[in-house]
Amino acid sequence: MTLPGFSALINAWWFLLLIPLVIFYFLKLRRPRVEIPSLALWRQVITDQRVNSPFQKFRRNLLLLLQILLLCALVIGAMQPYLYSNARHVQNLPVMIDTSASMAALDAPGGRSRLVEAKEKIGRLIDDLLPDQQICLISVNSSARRLTDFTNNKRLLRETLARLEPSHVPSRLVDGFRLTQALSRGNSIESAILMSDGNVPQDIEFELPFKLNFQKLKPGGANVGIVDFNARRSRTGWEVFARIEGAPGTKVQAEYELRQNGQVIKSELISIEGPRINPEKAVVEGEGDKKADQPTGERLMFKISTDTAAMLELRLKPDGFDALDVDNVAYLSLPRPRQLEVYCPEEMTSFRNALAIVPGLNIYPGSDATPPAVDLKFAEGPIATGPESRVNLNVGFIPDDLAALVELESGLAEIVDWQRTSPLLQHVQLLDVQIGDQPKLAKGISERDFEAAGYEILAESRTGPLILERPGDGRLDLCMLFHPDRSSLVFRVGFPILVQNVTQIAFSRAHLLDAKAIPTGEIPARKLEPEKEYHVSGPHGYAETGTSDKHGYLMGMNAPFVGQYEINSPETERIGASLVSSQETSLVSVEKLIFPENVTVTAGEAEVKGDQPLWGWFAFAGLALLVVEWWFFQKKPAGVPG
Amino acid sequence: MDNTTQFTSLMENATLARAERMRMLPMRRRTNRSRGEHLAGKGGTSTEFNDYRDYVAGDDMRYVDWNIFSRLNRPYVKQYRHEEEMHVVILVDASASMQFGDKFTRARQLAACFAVMGLMNIEKVSVFACQHATQTPLILAPCTGRISMKRIFKFLEEIPPGGDFPIEKAVESVLIQHRGRGIAVLLSDFLTFGALERPMNMLFSAGLEVFAIQLLSGIELNPDLTGDLRFVDAETGHTLDVSSVGDLLGFYHEHLNGLQEHLSTLCRQRSGRFICLDSSQPLEEILFDVLKRKGWVQ
Repeated sequence: MTLPGFSALINAWWFLLLIPLVIFYFLKLRRPRVEIPSLALWRQVITDQRVNSPFQKFRRNLLLLLQILLLCALVIGAMQPYLYSNARHVQNLPVMIDTSASMAALDAPGGRSRLVEAKEKIGRLIDDLLPDQQICLISVNSSARRLTDFTNNKRLLRETLARLEPSHVPSRLVDGFRLTQALSRGNSIESAILMSDGNVPQDIEFELPFKLNFQKLKPGGANVGIVDFNARRSRTGWEVFARIEGAPGTKVQAEYELRQNGQVIKSELISIEGPRINPEKAVVEGEGDKKADQPTGERLMFKISTDTAAMLELRLKPDGFDALDVDNVAYLSLPRPRQLEVYCPEEMTSFRNALAIVPGLNIYPGSDATPPAVDLKFAEGPIATGPESRVNLNVGFIPDDLAALVELESGLAEIVDWQRTSPLLQHVQLLDVQIGDQPKLAKGISERDFEAAGYEILAESRTGPLILERPGDGRLDLCMLFHPDRSSLVFRVGFPILVQNVTQIAFSRAHLLDAKAIPTGEIPARKLEPEKEYHVSGPHGYAETGTSDKHGYLMGMNAPFVGQYEINSPETERIGASLVSSQETSLVSVEKLIFPENVTVTAGEAEVKGDQPLWGWFAFAGLALLVVEWWFFQKKPAGVPG
Repeated sequence: MDNTTQFTSLMENATLARAERMRMLPMRRRTNRSRGEHLAGKGGTSTEFNDYRDYVAGDDMRYVDWNIFSRLNRPYVKQYRHEEEMHVVILVDASASMQFGDKFTRARQLAACFAVMGLMNIEKVSVFACQHATQTPLILAPCTGRISMKRIFKFLEEIPPGGDFPIEKAVESVLIQHRGRGIAVLLSDFLTFGALERPMNMLFSAGLEVFAIQLLSGIELNPDLTGDLRFVDAETGHTLDVSSVGDLLGFYHEHLNGLQEHLSTLCRQRSGRFICLDSSQPLEEILFDVLKRKGWVQ
């Protein structure tokens, strides 16, 4: 049996009040006077040895007993007693609450969402909070947000908890752990609680500096949803693909509707079956390695012909219970079909020759005037020269920010290593290519210095890098430090392939080849007018204001809810954000989280029980004793005349 | 109640009439030498034949049974019972403790009834009323005959209540003034701090058979009290703080029963009688039912 502890043991001094209580009781006892014929018998009674036994004396002084009990109850209550739980007594307890989309899943028709269940559990944890304990509520979805500071203000914690709503974004726990780790700088944190339905990535790249209590809620019920929605450019228009999956054990019919700019263009009833559950092993088929081999769900394909930009909306209407409804709709923005605008100076003859065989290009300078902005730009000098472009290929020139790191010297160089999986160098054979420019690293410079400058080396010689790329700010700058005209590359079959790779990158960046549904979380960078304020409005009254940068890119705008967002540029642009997460739709929960160095945290469904405070019980007992004492004190003794 | 004039305020005429036809039944003959209605153990001159004995010289010739002498030719003397007078002493406790309930009223009524029985049976009857310990008891001098009935009633009716005379002291005080054997009727609640052996012994020594009647009211027989109380003695004004009275009622009843048992033993050992009566009981029930069945009166 565990003895209770006391948070405010110093209040035990109040027990000294028992002394004056007993003294005043006997001095100030109010007794009704009753006249009787003779005291003879009563004097015999009270001198009876049995009557004067300690127990009988105690019974006779019931009022005193009640007062002593009342005082003891109040003092013990003031001493803040609590029962030890199995959990270690912690003073600062961060509670990470998974608010990803799957937490909105219901367990049954008309049932409760996972988040409501989590709130109830955390509510009980808050109720049991001791005065020396503090809780910090953290909301974790695709990012982490601290909801409260470390506090023991139960009202604040309850109000914050009540306001918490599930988001429409997938889980990403690592941000929550990082935030908790950041909080530990100001507060001593020994352990943290993660309240989740387990529908989270199992492998987490984070080294746990504290003890994690992974509280797993029961997963939601049957669910179907759209997990993928994308389109690919074809010769006749667009080929649109959608994938609909169900949670394990789900078997349901659903009707889908495909709308183009609000008009229903296709509607059909389909049957969806989720992965089967093996009841003996309780293993979900389709997970892990089997998932790729045995895909489940339904794949849909549509052909769309349009000469203008279009907004596609795919809406799913399950015929039956569906635990999660935010994954039943997905949006896809199809850009207006056009030629890729490419700027290649006329003196770059080899590149222009290679570009000539690539279809779908408008090459400048040419017969038409060069526009101020193009999709792809080739340059032999500084990137700033010529029209603005999202994708730039700079050859035979060292950018200013690399000038201190590397320089070119005359001499032969060979490429000794290159990233074959890089989009630029796919299918490009660079072995034995002779290069007339030899890079030379400055003294003390290493590959890490290029990374620090924002560059990634794609190909390098023995003496230094030769091809680099710098992504960022919605742009992609590709730098070939050597000039291909001073190398044997232009005579290799890999050269036109390299040029075509560049155009494919530009096509992709301009969204002319394919389109994907934008997942909730953040709106991709949009090319708008430079340095102008834009208002973004979305579903559920969401509104945000942002300013485009000097290049005209509007970035960092949130899309927290599934739905359509409007950017109030001169031509109002509509963007759809969708959940499209196979993990969130599957509602599959993991049993353990795996951290680096084989650190695993197993989920537990048992409720976290903090130290159980008992002061409320003692306060209630004190109140009850007070009422009993009042009744006993005020009760007119039976048989008392008058 | 009918419209006829009440002979006394203590009881109705019908009750009085029934009481007049009753007589006390002492367990032993305790009589005075003076001639009376009660047969003495020794021979006497009454008309009631007792026995024969041989004639001896000096016997009164008038008592020789001549019929037997003529048949047997021997003289036998007829003996007759001796009838003596019995003194009925009635002691009424008039202290303050008797003022609770109907105790004092019932005591005076019973005293009147016993007095009537005594008077109607040609006994000497004397009544004592004890009030204050510092004063001598009120005395109704021994009287006899129906003619004294009114006087006794008047005496009993006019006994002022109140006082602190304990019963043991009252008995001693009465015995100082009393002479004569007979019956001593004690009408009291016997709630006293003093010892009762001594007065009982004195009564026994004085040749008085004790008729002890304890009259208790409801608050004494079945006190319905709870809580912490301050008891005030009605006679002395002394107080006693008692806590949780309700829990002590069991002990109270034990001590009350012990007191009654003690009184009963004291009386029985001295050829007396003891009975405890509830003062709320009607007089007729006490007189014609309880006491009759107990064999106190007939």
